Amino acid sequence: MPEEASAPGKPGKFWTIVWELRIAIALIIICFALSLATPYFMRERNLINVLRQVSVNGLLSIGMTFVILTGGIDLSVGSMLAFGGVVTASFVSNAFKDIPSINPFLAIFLGLAAGTLLGAINGVVISKVKVTPFIMTLGMLSIARGMTYIYSNGMPITDLDKTFLQVGQGYASFLPIPVAIFLVAFLIAWVVLYRTKFGRYVYAVGGNARSARISGINVGFIVFMVYVISGFLCALAGTLLTARTSAGLPQAGMSYELDAIAAVVIGGTSMTGGKGSLIGTLLGVLLIGFINNGLDLLSVSSYYQQVCKGMIIVGAVMLDYFQSDSDR
Amino acid sequence: MTATGTDQEIILRMVNVDKRFHGVHALKGVSIELRRGEVHAICGENGAGKSTLMKILMGVYAADSGDMQLNGHPVRFQSPRQALDAGIAIIEQELTPIPDMTVAENIFLGREPMTAGGLFVNYRSLNRMAQDVLARIKVRIEPTRKMKTLSVAEVQLVEIAKALSYDSDVLIMDEPTSAIGERETDVLFDIIRTLKTQGKGIFYISHRLKEIFRVADVVTILRDGEYIATKPTSGLDQDALVNLMISRKLEGQYVKENTPTDVPFLTVRNLRRRGKHEAVSLVLHRGEILGIYGLVGAGRSEFLESLFGVARPDGGEVLLEGKPVAHRTPYDSIRNGVAFVTEDRKNSGLALILSVKDNTTLTSIRKYHRGPFVNRRREMRDVLRAIDFFGIKTPSERQLVRNLSGGNQQKVVLGRWLLAQPSILLMDEPTRGIDVGAKREIYKFMSDFANEGNGVIMVSSELPEVIGMSDRILVFKDGRLNGEVSRAEASEELLMQIAT
Amino acid sequence: MRKTVLFLAALLLVLSAGFAQAGQKYRIGGATYGLVGEYMKLWATALERHPAVVQGLVDLTIFDGRYDASVQQSQFETMSSQGYDAILFVPIDIEAGAAAVATAHANDVIVVGSNTRVNSDLLTAYIGSNDVISGYMEAKAVIAKMGGKGNVVIIEGPIGQSAQIERREGNLKAIAEYPEVKVLEMRTANWSRAEALALMENWLTAHPGQIDGVIGQNDEMALGAVQAIKAAGLDVKDFAVAGIDGVSDAIMAVKNGEMDLSILQDAVSQAQGALDIALGYLVKDYQPMSDCWKDYPEMKWNGGKDKNYDVPWTPITKDNADEQWAKRQDLTAR
Repeated sequence: MPEEASAPGKPGKFWTIVWELRIAIALIIICFALSLATPYFMRERNLINVLRQVSVNGLLSIGMTFVILTGGIDLSVGSMLAFGGVVTASFVSNAFKDIPSINPFLAIFLGLAAGTLLGAINGVVISKVKVTPFIMTLGMLSIARGMTYIYSNGMPITDLDKTFLQVGQGYASFLPIPVAIFLVAFLIAWVVLYRTKFGRYVYAVGGNARSARISGINVGFIVFMVYVISGFLCALAGTLLTARTSAGLPQAGMSYELDAIAAVVIGGTSMTGGKGSLIGTLLGVLLIGFINNGLDLLSVSSYYQQVCKGMIIVGAVMLDYFQSDSDR
Repeated sequence: MTATGTDQEIILRMVNVDKRFHGVHALKGVSIELRRGEVHAICGENGAGKSTLMKILMGVYAADSGDMQLNGHPVRFQSPRQALDAGIAIIEQELTPIPDMTVAENIFLGREPMTAGGLFVNYRSLNRMAQDVLARIKVRIEPTRKMKTLSVAEVQLVEIAKALSYDSDVLIMDEPTSAIGERETDVLFDIIRTLKTQGKGIFYISHRLKEIFRVADVVTILRDGEYIATKPTSGLDQDALVNLMISRKLEGQYVKENTPTDVPFLTVRNLRRRGKHEAVSLVLHRGEILGIYGLVGAGRSEFLESLFGVARPDGGEVLLEGKPVAHRTPYDSIRNGVAFVTEDRKNSGLALILSVKDNTTLTSIRKYHRGPFVNRRREMRDVLRAIDFFGIKTPSERQLVRNLSGGNQQKVVLGRWLLAQPSILLMDEPTRGIDVGAKREIYKFMSDFANEGNGVIMVSSELPEVIGMSDRILVFKDGRLNGEVSRAEASEELLMQIAT
Repeated sequence: MRKTVLFLAALLLVLSAGFAQAGQKYRIGGATYGLVGEYMKLWATALERHPAVVQGLVDLTIFDGRYDASVQQSQFETMSSQGYDAILFVPIDIEAGAAAVATAHANDVIVVGSNTRVNSDLLTAYIGSNDVISGYMEAKAVIAKMGGKGNVVIIEGPIGQSAQIERREGNLKAIAEYPEVKVLEMRTANWSRAEALALMENWLTAHPGQIDGVIGQNDEMALGAVQAIKAAGLDVKDFAVAGIDGVSDAIMAVKNGEMDLSILQDAVSQAQGALDIALGYLVKDYQPMSDCWKDYPEMKWNGGKDKNYDVPWTPITKDNADEQWAKRQDLTAR
């Protein structure tokens, strides 16, 4: 995969490797510290819990990685999550009177299609009309949230099909299904990003869109596709969250875009695009998840959680800055 | 070492400057002296240490060892700001204007004169000061114009005015002519002569050896970070200088072995784009290198962009072997076997933050697809082939392109297009900012490429290059085709005449 | 002199009220803090079904405050300038509505607070339910199921909101009565089901087998805790879980035995009662039309001129869940 090669003029090989693995090392240190601080941390049940808790943000962050790699941003992920979740819920709810309850898999398909459609709208406007991603997805943040309220009439959609709830609450052998879905999505995304020309084009568009265009790449299509991918994964996350909370909540996913962007940035992906990795994002997602979990276990106030997360984001970006500075 | 022959006082002296970048010995004890009223050229291939030396002078890097004296006092700058305050200004190769500010605001950025009380910028005095500075170098640009309305050449002149506005004793000019045409170059050289009479010392860095003989008094040659010699230009000729710069001896700068046929390959009829260039018609034959010459802003690059589909032309047609083709996007052109090496490597040629491998296979990667996946073995084989073919100097194919020298970056661009197996190569300023050795290799590639029955269209501002490499030369002026010159009758005087 | 002016003003007011009664409709605004979430939806629906609105005595407009005190402020300015007769006001927070009330007061518009009190003595009257009592009731119920001893966790609302402050006060007051009850954890989940779910999962890990009761300061968070308990493979019936508000999902959970108690915040009575009170100031010899006064005999009409009306809380337990569910279905039917 196109991890950056070590630049010349770096201190020895050892430090280069340390640098490459910095997020993984940070993760290990945090896990080690937490396992010393509380005996419950390293238990299998807790680790599974953390995985389950990060699976929603994980899915959003995968899509966000694609988007940010092209040099864009998707602020609408939380709202698209809510929309996808509510649409899915409406088709498996016995209490939602406008729509009959249908086969849960068909319902999930419809929910995913709804989120994908919103992503496609983002993609078309950004790639064809050239509205900047920040503005377009800021608009979509509001539009999708409003549509969610309209669709659900502002009320939680409850009394959901029991089979459907398994998607959020069941197990695939020892792994909770949300975790399994997240891992599968991650693997597919990894293959797409690192084993297909599409993935290479994503990096190329973020690295230098003009150069990519002259090299014969349909830049508009690549940009369109990353927002479609993001919309799809948001709806998937929304479906998982709905099944996990047993209700299609129209307020779900408020400000989730912040955690997704944070995970991507902590993972070393450059906000200007072209540089970063999916593995880094995975580590970023886990880092945030472990910190939230650890501070809960240690009964640290959630105020500190927020301060802590903010410092990690800024710290990660500062490290990147020092690195590129010494590269000159 | 003081072979300059002038007896003017020494302004600046750098002694035994040594610099390593984590294992790479970039400067090996280099010493250099600059006198008042002297234009001191620094020559060397890319990677010889010219830029590193200047960056140490400007306080961007700290030297590992060595001394620096300014007007006899030892100095050591921690930052470009300190160097500026001490009277050393640089005109950088890469221009960094703020497009939405006026000329005057750009020149005095951070040093604006204030009204009494220091609350507001005194625009009247700001514009007057800018006018004065511009007048000093005999440039007529309204100080109130926005930078974004200026041509590249005018921006360059403003940057020079800005450097002068610091009243520096020492001026560093790093490839000041790389973005401007012949006429602006003449203006610049007039300015340099004026500055000499004012007693300034100037370091002049350029790949264009002819300019060095026109403007410099002395030249210091660096090679692989080592000091080679300092000589008066009056006692040198171009070949002697090149031989000092490269250890091997060059047998002629240009490689031209192709034989053009008269089989029409690419025909362009009345291709036009409003505001950029008027209707242009031309025929490229198999085996031919077709040169396009013109001053900056004559519409040459814009024409190539229309031809390749980067921008949509307003009318006209393109025929390939007599059959009309539609080049609506670069993708269409590439499918028809056309490749485009753009003028500006960094902005439109390469993704600097990606690796050599990813840049090299950007166009051809669709060929390596087997089913949904990239066949990475085949991809790697081609990458290594391209690296090998062009002799790209890189520690590994995973190296980021950003860390390569200009010449090697250009070879990566060429390697990318080579892998796309084109039959027509459009090249815009193919050797800009590249050292002599790499230039020769690129010329050889062009010649070999044409000789295989392909065609090349080369846009260049360097007269010797156009004359040295082209079978025919088209001259652009003010957005239209103003004349055609055969290889036999081509001369610098004639081309300039048609272009101006 | 001043007395005369006051007298004349009062006379004018009475006269104008008299004219109003003669024929025209009363324009009344329902200023909600935001129309997202079940409670406010029910509140608005209940107003629309008030007999006075149905019969055409009142021209009702519902405003969406979008969870923003400044939005509510400007809506108050609009209503005042358009000559509304009264405003039924649900502020986003106890401290956030005083300026809006002052604006209305300056324009002689009657303002009846509902659900959440405003820190202002310019409020004409207030009808709502005492959050300290609900906090006390739910904690009592949880402790009762635990047999008067054991460990509880408290999932709180957004810190600093009046509902959180008062419900916490009630929670702790009840717990203080039982020396053998220990609070293991007390943290915010911002009224959010998803947040409470993650929080409870982590608590179950940190205190394995030790948590006996869950006090959710609203139903959504209590429901999140229920999901966490189920996800951990534990039996919900081994835990005492209670929430406040009586949202539909919680009534369902009580019906299924997943929650032990939800305390109904009676949106219908808070909304319709407020309208009755407002009409009491506008219409001469007005008799309240809403059923709420009959539903809660302990809440006395007193001629409609009391400053405070306290809508009692209704505990929803397994015994009355079916009945409440039916009532809710009726209200949410479209």
